[in-house]
Amino acid sequence: MTTKLSVEHLSAFYGPKRALDDVSLEFNDREVTAIIGPSGCGKSTLIRCLNRIHETQPGARAEGRVLLDGADIYEQDAVEVRRRIGMVFQKPNPFPTLSVYDNVAAGLRLNGVRDRNAIHVKVVESLRKAALWDEVKDGLMAPGVRLSGGQQQRLCIARALAVDPEILLMDEPASALDPIATAKIEDLVFDLKRTYPVIIVTHNMQQAARVAERTAFMYLGKLIEVGVTRELFERPKEKLTEGYITGRFG
Amino acid sequence: MTGVERKALTESLDQLNENMATLAELAKVAIRKAVESLEEGGKAEADAVFTLDQEIFALKQEITRRCVDLIALHAPVARDLRTITASLEMTTDLDRIGRYSRDIAEIAREIAPSASREVRRMDKLAKMGELTVRMIDLALDAFRHRDAEPVKNMIAEDDAVDDLHDDLFRELVARMADRSLSPHIGAQLILINRYFERLADHAVNIGDHVAYMVTGQRLTRVKRPKTGLPLGPQY
Amino acid sequence: MRKQGRRRRITNAAMSAAAFACVIIALVPLASILYSAAVEGGKAIGPAFFTQNEPPPCSPTLQANCPTGGIANALQGTLILVGIATLIALPLGILTGIYLSEYGRLSRFGAGVRFVTDVMTGIPSIVVGIVIFAIFLLVAQAGWIPLRYVTSATSGIVALTVIMTPIVARTVEEALRLVPTTIREAALALGIPRWRAILRIVLSTGKAGVVTGALLAVARASGETAPLIVTAGGSFFGFAGFDQSIAAMPLLIYVNGLSGVPNYVTLAWGTALVLILIMLGISLAARLALHRVLKGAGAAR
Repeated sequence: MTTKLSVEHLSAFYGPKRALDDVSLEFNDREVTAIIGPSGCGKSTLIRCLNRIHETQPGARAEGRVLLDGADIYEQDAVEVRRRIGMVFQKPNPFPTLSVYDNVAAGLRLNGVRDRNAIHVKVVESLRKAALWDEVKDGLMAPGVRLSGGQQQRLCIARALAVDPEILLMDEPASALDPIATAKIEDLVFDLKRTYPVIIVTHNMQQAARVAERTAFMYLGKLIEVGVTRELFERPKEKLTEGYITGRFG
Repeated sequence: MTGVERKALTESLDQLNENMATLAELAKVAIRKAVESLEEGGKAEADAVFTLDQEIFALKQEITRRCVDLIALHAPVARDLRTITASLEMTTDLDRIGRYSRDIAEIAREIAPSASREVRRMDKLAKMGELTVRMIDLALDAFRHRDAEPVKNMIAEDDAVDDLHDDLFRELVARMADRSLSPHIGAQLILINRYFERLADHAVNIGDHVAYMVTGQRLTRVKRPKTGLPLGPQY
Repeated sequence: MRKQGRRRRITNAAMSAAAFACVIIALVPLASILYSAAVEGGKAIGPAFFTQNEPPPCSPTLQANCPTGGIANALQGTLILVGIATLIALPLGILTGIYLSEYGRLSRFGAGVRFVTDVMTGIPSIVVGIVIFAIFLLVAQAGWIPLRYVTSATSGIVALTVIMTPIVARTVEEALRLVPTTIREAALALGIPRWRAILRIVLSTGKAGVVTGALLAVARASGETAPLIVTAGGSFFGFAGFDQSIAAMPLLIYVNGLSGVPNYVTLAWGTALVLILIMLGISLAARLALHRVLKGAGAAR
């Protein structure tokens, strides 16, 4: 298990308000790590710091280090970091004015790729990886927003995969979806982890239990416990963790 | 922490714990009465054990059903999960305790009152009975108090019981060989010796489940291989 | 109970009738304007109307032989003034709108720009005209530009630009603010530089609003009279250079409509009708564009 991403003493702020408190954590390659915790515990903030989206919000900043393959992403070009670390958001957000095809191609085109064949190959490959190809192959030019919620989310996953990220971040990707669509996303994560390390934030503990090899529990901005999922759910070390996962609070 | 109670789960878990406590009590009484019936030769005690065994079996069915429901409906984790799994496993052991108690009581009813004098004179058999009851008590008390400390040495105690079983077996065979013990009674006593040894094993199992339930870790076991029946120098 | 129900129904009916009546009352002036323009202006419309320049004044005694003339030069003038002003105001306004929405939401400088823009959308256009006139005059008096630029196509264009830019800026800012943050973040998360994300994704998503803003500004500028009185100046002839006076349709209406000369008055009515039709056309175009964009993008579930 090689360490792909390493978080060291990360703290994050929205203006004066501290949302993350000295978090240190490691994420392994070809593995799914879930981050769970009650609302407001900082899990979304954490994941948004990992691809430097957090700081795009006015007034937001972060302190500490995040090492991708050993190099601190906060000392590199933010745009390049974001290309290497992909993200899927809670509410599916395909670009409203673009077709299905153009949505997936957007990342490539906007990064300067001109070769139409290369783009086409990548679009088809990404749609296949996102398990969406069969459903859209006859309607690639339809507006992206005409798809169902679950399909839109898979479209967003395809869009993120098209730029060949090294890590995939998912911020509660299935929370806006019905159970069938959720299951499809989980199956997708199961396939994707063969190629990419996946970090998934979820408020659904059973989902974390189903998809993740390792799980981290956060509360009030602090990392409380992290470990092999099976261990965390069968014999958690911290009382706080036990209280949350047995549903006694949160 | 906000007071989310998960009322349905809590109520069902409470019911499970109550049922398990009852089952434990029934098992304790069953083995005690079985040993009594052996040593005092009372038919009443023996009959009581038969009834207890039936109650134990019925309660075990209900507990198993409840555990399956809890798992299917509530997706329990951590301590809840361990409690339920341990309970499921323990019902098997407690059911076996009831069954063996009944077997002992059956034999007692058959060979008593004539042999009860003989039985009372056999120190080793009495000791087997005493150790077994004590181990079962220890494990079930640890379960009731949710305390894994007392069961830590059960493996060692079980080894002692195994050794005593082997000794008693040799003695019984020797006494049947030199005719100081009738084969009819001797054979039954050999069975009872075996039952005690098995009961002690089940007590250790229960201790193991209690340790898992409380700490998440099981007792470390190094099982000594049973090298077959120790036949002794006569053969 | 039943009495209450009946009273409620009567009240409902009365309120509906009252509201309807108010609508009718509000529409009366609009209807009368349209009617007058159509009837009076219709008299002037003809092929000559669009091809000939404004005729010289004609004395009432010679009425029978008065040349009718046309508004060709005024049409050309308006096109040049509004067209060039648009070419300048649109990029300026869009860039300002982008700054206000994407970079200046929280900064003090952004707040300042926003305030100034707001104020400028409210300044009476005559004031804008006078100020531009004064500035040009001062600059000319200082000797940096020839005096004739003070009332010229150039000063007219400048005045219209000053009027149009804040409108475009504010409308674009509002339109871009409506684009959900999550769209921006999705674009950024693909590893695109911010400016490209704004231009290619955010602007494109908010283009309905941008188009509306542009059309609104153009409509406003087409109808502005007061600033043009003191800057563009008006003329009987077609475009003669950026340093010369230039005709414009609203100016024509103002001057000719009040002149009392019959053929001028008719011409004014015709121009008014044409202007109204142009405004209608622009409004319709804006509405259509909005509808089409919404139909494509907003039909998401």
